[in-house]
Amino acid sequence: MSTRASGSSLEVDTIAAVATAPGAAGIGVVRLSGPEALPIAAAVSGPLGEPRIARLRRFRDAEGEVIDSGLVICFSRPNSFTGEDVVEFQGHGGPVVLQMLLGALLEAGARLARPGEFTERAYLNGKMDLAQAEAVADLIASSSATAVRAANRSLAGEFSRQVHALDEQVLSLRVFVEASIDFVDEDIDVLESGDVAGRIGAIQQGLVALQQASAQGVLLRDGISLALLGPPNVGKSSLLNRLAGEERAIVTQVPGTTRDLVRVPVQIGGLPVEMVDTAGLRETRDLVEREGVRRALHQGREADIVLWLTDLTQPDVGETTALEELDQARVIRVGNKLDLVSPGADSISTLGDVQISAVTGAGIEKLVSLIQQRVGYQAPEAAFTARQRHLQALEKVAGHLATSLDLDSGSAELIAEELRLAHLALGEIVGELTPDELLGEIFSNFCIGK
Amino acid sequence: MSDYPDSFDVIVIGAGHAGAEAAMAAARTGARTLLLTQSLETVGQMSCNPAIGGIGKSHLVREIDALDGIMGKAADRAGIQYRILNASKGPAVRATRAQADRQLYRQAVRELLEEQPNLLLFQQSVVDLVVEQGRVVGVDTQMGLRFRGGAVVLTTGTFLGGRIHIGLENHPGGRAGDPPANTLSQRLRALPFRVDRLKTGTPPRIDGRSVDFSVLEEQPGDLPTPYLSYLHEAHGLADRPRQVSCYVTETNVGTHDMILAALDRSPLYTGVIEGEGPRYCPSIEDKVVRFAERVRHQIFVEPEGLNNSELYPNGISTSLPFDVQIELVRSIRGFEAAHITRPGYAIEYDFFDPRDLHYSLETKALEGLFFAGQINGTTGYEEAAAQGLLAGLNASRKVSGLAAWCPARDEAYLGVLVDDLINLGTKEPYRMFTSRAEFRLRLREDNADQRLTPKGRELGLVGERRWQAFTEKKMRLDSLLAAVAGVQINPETKLAKSLAEASGESVRKETDLAGYLRRPGMALQTLIRPLAHHAGVDLTGVDAALLQQVDTEIKYAGYIKRQSAEIEKIRRHEGMSLPVDLDYDGISGLSKELQLKLSAARPATLAKASRIPGITPAALSLLLVHARKRGPGNLAANTEQTSLGGTQ
Repeated sequence: MSTRASGSSLEVDTIAAVATAPGAAGIGVVRLSGPEALPIAAAVSGPLGEPRIARLRRFRDAEGEVIDSGLVICFSRPNSFTGEDVVEFQGHGGPVVLQMLLGALLEAGARLARPGEFTERAYLNGKMDLAQAEAVADLIASSSATAVRAANRSLAGEFSRQVHALDEQVLSLRVFVEASIDFVDEDIDVLESGDVAGRIGAIQQGLVALQQASAQGVLLRDGISLALLGPPNVGKSSLLNRLAGEERAIVTQVPGTTRDLVRVPVQIGGLPVEMVDTAGLRETRDLVEREGVRRALHQGREADIVLWLTDLTQPDVGETTALEELDQARVIRVGNKLDLVSPGADSISTLGDVQISAVTGAGIEKLVSLIQQRVGYQAPEAAFTARQRHLQALEKVAGHLATSLDLDSGSAELIAEELRLAHLALGEIVGELTPDELLGEIFSNFCIGK
Repeated sequence: MSDYPDSFDVIVIGAGHAGAEAAMAAARTGARTLLLTQSLETVGQMSCNPAIGGIGKSHLVREIDALDGIMGKAADRAGIQYRILNASKGPAVRATRAQADRQLYRQAVRELLEEQPNLLLFQQSVVDLVVEQGRVVGVDTQMGLRFRGGAVVLTTGTFLGGRIHIGLENHPGGRAGDPPANTLSQRLRALPFRVDRLKTGTPPRIDGRSVDFSVLEEQPGDLPTPYLSYLHEAHGLADRPRQVSCYVTETNVGTHDMILAALDRSPLYTGVIEGEGPRYCPSIEDKVVRFAERVRHQIFVEPEGLNNSELYPNGISTSLPFDVQIELVRSIRGFEAAHITRPGYAIEYDFFDPRDLHYSLETKALEGLFFAGQINGTTGYEEAAAQGLLAGLNASRKVSGLAAWCPARDEAYLGVLVDDLINLGTKEPYRMFTSRAEFRLRLREDNADQRLTPKGRELGLVGERRWQAFTEKKMRLDSLLAAVAGVQINPETKLAKSLAEASGESVRKETDLAGYLRRPGMALQTLIRPLAHHAGVDLTGVDAALLQQVDTEIKYAGYIKRQSAEIEKIRRHEGMSLPVDLDYDGISGLSKELQLKLSAARPATLAKASRIPGITPAALSLLLVHARKRGPGNLAANTEQTSLGGTQ
């Protein structure tokens, strides 16, 4: 079967991929997109019917053998995710079944999609801009509901809209400054009377708001890593289980139970957090445990936040040299086993930044808010996801605006240059002259089929 | 048809600003050159305002001068009032503007042409091009004379299909008093060039004896009187013309009412004129209509020359009927009893779509034929002259079998001009502005020679005298920069204290002199004494212009460095060619408007596409990905030019 596009001069073929995550699941989706999507799908499932209406069909391979049965839905271009004809097969989620269904589609004329190719097509067909395309990847990778909502807002163009709005302000100011340079014989006001400083100030305000929101967006997208460190048997694993809301680490009374790193993804107030439980820090002859301690210390240096636990009932136990070597801005000292301390014991109130009981849950709320505060997370209402590169670009914009304010009107041409550079930096976010490598990276960060 | 006995390497048609530079550049680089003109009396004629330079334009003049062209030299021999525009802004956007005595200017150009070896002048209208095997090999003149040449440069200004409008009356003309070149125009229209019409205008001239100067604001020239040519800065100029003043007046509500009442007799507003005029240099009727809220428009009253009393009222270009012209002029302060010596008029003329040109300014359709000046859709003497120089040079190189040359956008305004024209074309007469040059901080008047003279020397354009002057200046500049770079300022030293006394800026922690000079308002000129006494750097006797250039180099250093990185990045993107046959209509993410623009322009690289007006970042990303999808086998061969627009 021909996979050539008809009626279009661009040779576009039809792509297919399993769209759901690998592994057994109740339902698995295979997606097909391209000019031949409808006939290829029909070859596997029989007649498709009207667009956007789900139908129950048997899926067959080239020999007519039934592979699976499930729902098939078609979307006709341009009203689809990619802007092309798209067909989705919802079958049973077993990996073998899905691979067989995919195989049948490939045999019928489709080609296996490259990573991110569906989104790339959506982008190419003008269904979304670069920031939106990135948001799709974020949506898929979202590890919390808040992150999903934020990615959805970026996808809807919220972030792009705000960047564009800022860019327009910069542009209109540029126009003014350029005019005051090139049309001196005309009666265009010079910089002072044009209130250039005031206008730059207004742009800065909008920029600061966008930077803050974007910083939240980056937190939402990337999350943070949090390491639990401390002497053996102070309750690190208990705290991990408490924060995870389920038994994830083995907890015993035996010091040194945790020997290797235990990584658990959780979310704390909507913020995706990768918690890492570590071996208790102590001198030991046990080779395995020594390696565990080495890894724990390494983890302590790598993590965004370190929870340093001590046992409130034995506050003086354990070594502290490792603690002192850490960057204190990232360390939260947690006194655990509050439930075992007799109320009114005055010695404990000074121990650590927060006192908790991993067993009863006392103080956990305070700990959570302390973590959020430390990383600057505000559980935003209208957040959108953003990336480090967006923050860097906004940082550049801020730098150029700040420099331009330091210049006097005797340097109008330098003000103009700073504004030009600010404009270029904003352009980087929504894709101005995006270098090849960057685009490649953006698209290759997608999972196959998304 | 009889053949002229001698043959030439380069034949230049037209002896205006483009033609004169073209002929000179060809002859300087060793080509036997013939300059053909309708009239030897109007060689170097300034058809519109009597001034050379201005913002963006003086930069071009300096570049022409750096390549040893004649515009700056001629302007200085004719200059009667000089001003530095944007003096209160930074050095990159400062621009020199000289009022020029028309007669002296023509005379200067004529002298310079006649002093040039390898160059002959001949007065005769050209009626046809001689084309053999798809290549231009000569021209035929009105009297049936055939000149043979290896390359032809056409610089016919507004003369092709020229039509002059005064009110609803109109007649064929190339300029007031001169006939158009209609036969040639018809011949050219038969060739595969895209032709369109543009419009420009000129104000009525006024007899100075009928003007009351006592009620006008006087505008004297700047002192010391600047030069436009570096040769004169270096060696001075004997017999410099006497300097005079300009004056300023303005229109008023009464003037505007008269104009509005007469619009039914305006060729612009009745649809008689179809050609597009320049938005930045509108006629007075345009200004009154478009800026209805304004109650006055400024008029600069400029002398036409030292030896006559005619004045050029800059700001009231008009094609209204003559009776309205008299009325409106007399409604203006100081002009109450004015006598008009020549009516204002609008002129419509043919121009060729510059997108049909190579960077060399050779036409794509006809080998050996070069276009320069107003026929490429530009306006202004400076824009014309710059193109003329480039076209003359490349015509000469073509005949010698050498590769064409054009500076890149980061090297010269000339590069910006040509790159804009041949890639974007133009809808209105194209004028240079500093804002067209994204790298303008490096494209200054003061460093035009550093940017271009060495290259000009290599190309054979730059003569011995200029080369000497340049190398001397360069040596002094370099040693100054080195001397300044060697000064460290320690807060506790006498140097720091005396610097603070001289400039009012104290030194709190150790810095180098460059850092100190980068503070706002700082200038070497004011630090001569402390530097001499306490740093062992003697700047006495160094001329002010050079000191200022050192200030500028230091002040801009950080910006220039950053731009260099940007330029480097753009150059890396040169590999990102767009397929010549890319089907823009098939890219559904592009707006209809952008599809049309891109299909028309067919940019060779992504960098060029980015300069198409209205193109969005998203559209560029779209192009990039589409180009990439096509695979390397389909990429355009893009060996001729770099993304910054230059050819080496």
